[in-house]
Formats: sequence, C-alpha cells, structure tokens
Amino acid sequence: MCLLHLRAKNGGINIKFNQFKMMFLAQLKLTLREKQAWFWGIFFPVILMVIFMVIFSGNSDEEFKTEVAIVDPSPNPASEMMLSQISGLPVFEVKSGKPVTRDKAEEWVKEQEVDAAIILPETAEESSVFLVVNKENEQGAAAQAVSGILDKFVQQANLLAAGASPKYDLQYESITSGTNELDYTDFLLTGMIALSIAQGGMFGMVDLVEMRRKGLIKRLRMTPANMGIFGLSDMAMRLLFSIVQIVLLSLIGVLVFGANLYINPFTLIIIFLIGALSFNALGYFFSSFSKTTEAYMGVANICSFLMMFLSGVFFPIETMPEWIQPISAVLPLTYFADGLRESMVYEAGIATASLWAGIAVMVIWGAVTFLLGSVLYKRKAIAADR
Amino acid sequence: MTVLEVRNLQKSFGSIKAVKDISFSVHAGEVFTIIGPNGAGKTTTLEMIEGLVSPDNGVIHFGDLDWNKHAVSIKKKIGVQPQSSAMFDLLTPEENLNLFASFYDDARPTEEILEIVSLTEHRKNHVKKLSGGQRQRLAIGLALISDPQIIFLDEPTTGLDPQARRNIWDIILHLKELGKTTILTTHYMEEAEKLSDRVCIVDQGNVITLDTPSALIEKLTDEREIRMSFLDGEKAAEDADRFSKELESVSKTEREGAALKIWASKPEETLLDLFKFTKENSYGVEQVSIREMSLEDVFIAFTGKEWRD
Ligand SMILES: Nc1ncnc2c1ncn2[C@@H]1O[C@H](COP(=O)(O)OP(=O)(O)OP(=O)(O)O)[C@@H](O)[C@H]1O
Ligand SMILES: [Mg+2]
Repeated sequence: MCLLHLRAKNGGINIKFNQFKMMFLAQLKLTLREKQAWFWGIFFPVILMVIFMVIFSGNSDEEFKTEVAIVDPSPNPASEMMLSQISGLPVFEVKSGKPVTRDKAEEWVKEQEVDAAIILPETAEESSVFLVVNKENEQGAAAQAVSGILDKFVQQANLLAAGASPKYDLQYESITSGTNELDYTDFLLTGMIALSIAQGGMFGMVDLVEMRRKGLIKRLRMTPANMGIFGLSDMAMRLLFSIVQIVLLSLIGVLVFGANLYINPFTLIIIFLIGALSFNALGYFFSSFSKTTEAYMGVANICSFLMMFLSGVFFPIETMPEWIQPISAVLPLTYFADGLRESMVYEAGIATASLWAGIAVMVIWGAVTFLLGSVLYKRKAIAADR
Repeated sequence: MTVLEVRNLQKSFGSIKAVKDISFSVHAGEVFTIIGPNGAGKTTTLEMIEGLVSPDNGVIHFGDLDWNKHAVSIKKKIGVQPQSSAMFDLLTPEENLNLFASFYDDARPTEEILEIVSLTEHRKNHVKKLSGGQRQRLAIGLALISDPQIIFLDEPTTGLDPQARRNIWDIILHLKELGKTTILTTHYMEEAEKLSDRVCIVDQGNVITLDTPSALIEKLTDEREIRMSFLDGEKAAEDADRFSKELESVSKTEREGAALKIWASKPEETLLDLFKFTKENSYGVEQVSIREMSLEDVFIAFTGKEWRD
C-alpha cells in the first residue's frame, strides 16, 4: 500500500521532469532555429562591441576625459611639480585651468561639477595626495578611473622624486579604492554584456506575444500541461542563452581587445541572475499589453534605446549632462552594468553597500513589472483572445 | 450511452450574444456534427465545452465529470483541434507530437499517430513548410496523441482542396471505427451528410434542429422535384405539363421552354406515368432527374435563409 503510493508519487515527479525536459528541448530548438534570435542576441551585440572598441579604445586614455579640480593649499616645489604634470595629463581636464581653494573644490564635487578634487601635498615633506569624490559616485566609473590614473601617476611621481624611498602615496577621502584600474575596453565590454542580456530579456518575450497571437497558449491550456513548468523551461532557456552571450562577449573582449577581467564568481552569478530575471520580467510586462509583435517591438525598442544611452553602457554616466543623470539613477540597466563591472572587473565581494542598492533597484523593477504583467494577463484571460 | 451533455449554454461577448441557447447530448462512438454559417456560435460552443471559455449560463457534463471539479481528468479525456490550428512552426511534426505527448502519462507512440494522419513521410520537415492539408492533419494528430475518448474537430476541412478534404474524412471515419466519439463543426452540408451520425444545425446562437441526416431530410417533406426536358421542343413540354397536372400525386408544375419541373409526392409513380405518356406520343426525352433533397434544403426550410458556404 505504502509502496504503491510512493510509486505513484514518483511517477508524478517523473512526468513533471519529462515535461520540463521536453519543453526545454523544444525551446532550445526553437531558439536555435530562429534566425532573429541569433542576430539580435549574438551577432548584433558582438558587432556593436567591436565597432565601439575599434573606434574608442585605440588610445583609451585620451578618449576618456574627466573633469577635476585641483587644490594647492600652500604651493611648494613638490606640489608645483605635480600640478604641472597633472595638468599635462590628457585625461584630466582641470576646471578653470588653475588651482582653487579647497572649499570651492569641495563645493564643485558636491554639485557634481567635477568628478574629483585632487588635493596636493601642503609641504614637500608630506607624502599624501588626497582625492575627494562625491559619495554618490564613489563607485562610479569616473571616480574609479581618476583614482586609477592618479595611482599610476603617484608611482611615477615617486620615481621622479629622486629619493629612492617612495614618497607619495595616494589617499582617498570617502572612497573605497578599487583594486584594479578600469580601462575603456573593460568598461565597454561589461557594458555590452549588460546591454545584450537586458535586450535579450526585453526583446525575447516577443515569443509570448507571437504564441498568444497564434493561439498556442490557448492550445497548451487545452492539455494538462503545467503552465508553471512551461514558464520555468522558458526561463532556463533564456538564462542559458544569456550565459552564451556573457562567455562569447568576454572571450572576444579578452582575446581580441585585451580586456582585463578579475571575476568574483559569486557576485557575478548573483548579479547575473537578478539582472537577467528582472529584464525578463520587463519583457513579460511588455508582452502582457501588446496585442501584436509590432506593438511589442515598438515598446521594447524605445525602452532599450533609452537605456542603451542613459545607463552608462558606452560612456560613463558622469560624462553625461547633469539633468540626465537622475534618469540614469532609476534605470535598472545602470545598476546591472555597474554590478557586472564590480563583479567582473573589480572582483568585488557581494557585501558592498552600493551593490546591494543596485540589486534592490533591479529587484524592485523585476517584481513590479512581473506583478503588473501577471495582473494584465489574468484580466485578459477572462475574455478569451483569439 | 451519453458521453457529453450540454444544457442551455449561453455566452455573450459585450453586446454580442454569441451563443443564446444551445443544448444537446452526444452518444459514445458517434460522429456528431455542428453545422452553421459564419458567426453562428460553433467555435464559442466548442470552446465552452473544452473549458477555455466559461459559459455565462448552462451546464456541461462529461459523464459524471464537470469542469469545476475535474478539470485535469477532462483534459486527459478529450483531444482538441482548434479552428486556428496552433502548433510550433519551427518544430517538425514529430517534435510537436513528442512535446505534446510529454503532457500526458499514457500518450500513444508518435509513429502511430504519424501513420494515422499520413505524415510519416513529412515527419522531419518544419511545420512552417507543410501544406494546409498536412498542417491540418498534424493538428488532428496533436488532438489524438493522448488517445482521447472524445475528439473535438473545429472545421478540420475548411480551406482544403477536395482531395485533402477526403483525406480528413478518412481519418474521421477511421476514428469512428476505433470507437472514438467525434464532435465536428463544418460549413459543408455534404460533409455533414456523409460523415455524421447526427447533425445539429445552429444559427445565430440557437439550435435550429438536431437529428440524423436522413431523418432531417425526411422530416422536411415527402415531395420530390422531377425535372424533365424534351427533344421535341416546347410543344411536347406543353403536352406533358397538361398531362401531369391531371395526375393525383402532382401538386405543382413549372415550365420554361422545353424544360419542365414537376413536384410530386409519389415520384416513382409519376415518372412511370410520364414515360407511358411520352412513349404513346413518341416524344423524345432529353434529360430526366429527381432532385435529391439535402441538408441545405433543411437549413433553408428552417431558417428561410439562403445557405452560403
Ligand atoms: N472573443 C470574442 N470576443 C468578441 N466576440 C466574439 C469572440 N468570440 C466570438 N465572438 C463573436 O461571437 C459570434 C460567434 O462566433 P463563433 O466564432 O463562435 O462563430 P462560428 O460559428 O465558429 O463561426 P465560423 O464559422 O466563422 O468559425 C461572432 O459574432 C463573433 O464575432
Ligand atoms: Mg468557428
């Protein structure tokens, strides 16, 4: 009796697993046979990345410009020398062209008129260069870049300072130092990965619209098929596709363009899963109110276009006009791209506050759009669509 | 034995009353055809029975199962080919069937279904590339994969050429041999007459009439229309007209030139009398026929409307 019961239960699980397997295989075949999926999911991001890298990363230091303020509290030979050298660095654009007071510089940082203020040593004996950045941006690409460049610079300054013992070292005020410097190649690579996964989610759910239009959803509902399993297999397929995107883009970035990746696998997996899921939720939401594929594509295109340029995929957000930055600050792609940079370039652990803030933003986007989508689907299920 | 009973079904979409009052019951092993013009409410009726659309009113019983309590059991018992034959276009017939088979505990082997719907040859082509008839056969195959007792086919032959239509008829007759119950909708009177044990004519959301095809036709009238035309022209037709008017079973005649139409309640007797008359007068008969009454006439008689396919 007991044994029989157990067998029946096992059978149920087997059936469910078999259903999952068959649905997953079907999804896999559908994706492999869908030329559009290949083009937009694989070919397009690769081409886009290659174009951007070829155009912008040839001499990355020159292209990457960031505005800084320089404070020279009491000019001395050492500070004079550093001042002239920093002014000579093509990456830095010194605001107002000459040193300003510390108060003024801090005000600029606060107002985000400059990405960082560099405070030169007060005496030739003092060995510290201070870097003041805005707390909101301390994880931002510009701040990272400035500190990276200065770090290099300070090392050079040390060599120049004749004395054999290192004299200057860089100290940060209110920033946690990234251990690795951010090169434009790395920046773009991680941005492109984020973008293509985001687009995969936002565009990919067009399948759902198409299935509904063709009556396939209805057809499946006539069978005892478990729609939950169907959703699950669909999700698994999409995650697999995104993994292919990450691996492929990373390989091209590293092998062809010499990107430097320092990956923290745990952080990467968390960020990847949360990002991919929330962009899929966004696509699911689009599909819930789009009657036709054209309508869906329209919405997805607008959103992806906006995010592409407002979320710091190609250029750091700090380089964009100030009035746009608040928009960037609410977009999920901003945090997905940041998260991928943290986990793939800075090897960041998951415990960073800014990472969690980013995860929270993505989770909110994902949860809200998923719930809205579900409500819309439920409501429409009453008046059967044909 | 009744396998499906439907009583007083009603369904409106906004202000459109798609189904006003439909009741019938279906017996085990029969082919039950619902026929009616576009927009009559056939698909809506089927979709309510299939559990896709909830009726505003009315009851649906599959034996002692109903949708509220036994949805999964019913889904396992029925096979559905919807009007829009929905399937995965980028998969092959074989893959579609295998996928659908995984939804059921005891599906039939895919090869067997491919054989029944004659798609073995095309089992490895993408569905996208199948012809309309092949596609339709696959849709029927998908309905059969779970080895269902009751099969719903919503316009399986619409838009197919006569050959493809005949293929589908063969499948339906084969299912009947296997003892399955089939509920079919169609626009083609000929098809309903040929395939069905019983026919349910619906129009504007109501059942007009329901019976075996022959009973429906018999019910209609016992008069038959005889047509005759003469080699010897109008003169002969005129004489024959005058003669037949005298006969007891003839109710009415119509003449146009050398062609004559005669309505008679005992057509065989009337014909005999007519031939006797033509032989005596040595008139040559060019053509003679008794027009068969069809379901089409039943439809016209009950609705007063012309039938359009
Ligand atoms: N989801 C819906 N929303 C609004 N109106 C609908 C819906 N489904 C059906 N109708 C309307 O209900 C009526 C009956 O439609 P139904 O599809 O049942 O007819 P049918 O007999 O199957 O016609 P056909 O032979 O063309 O397939 C039509 O007037 C149709 O426009
Ligand atoms: Mg219909």
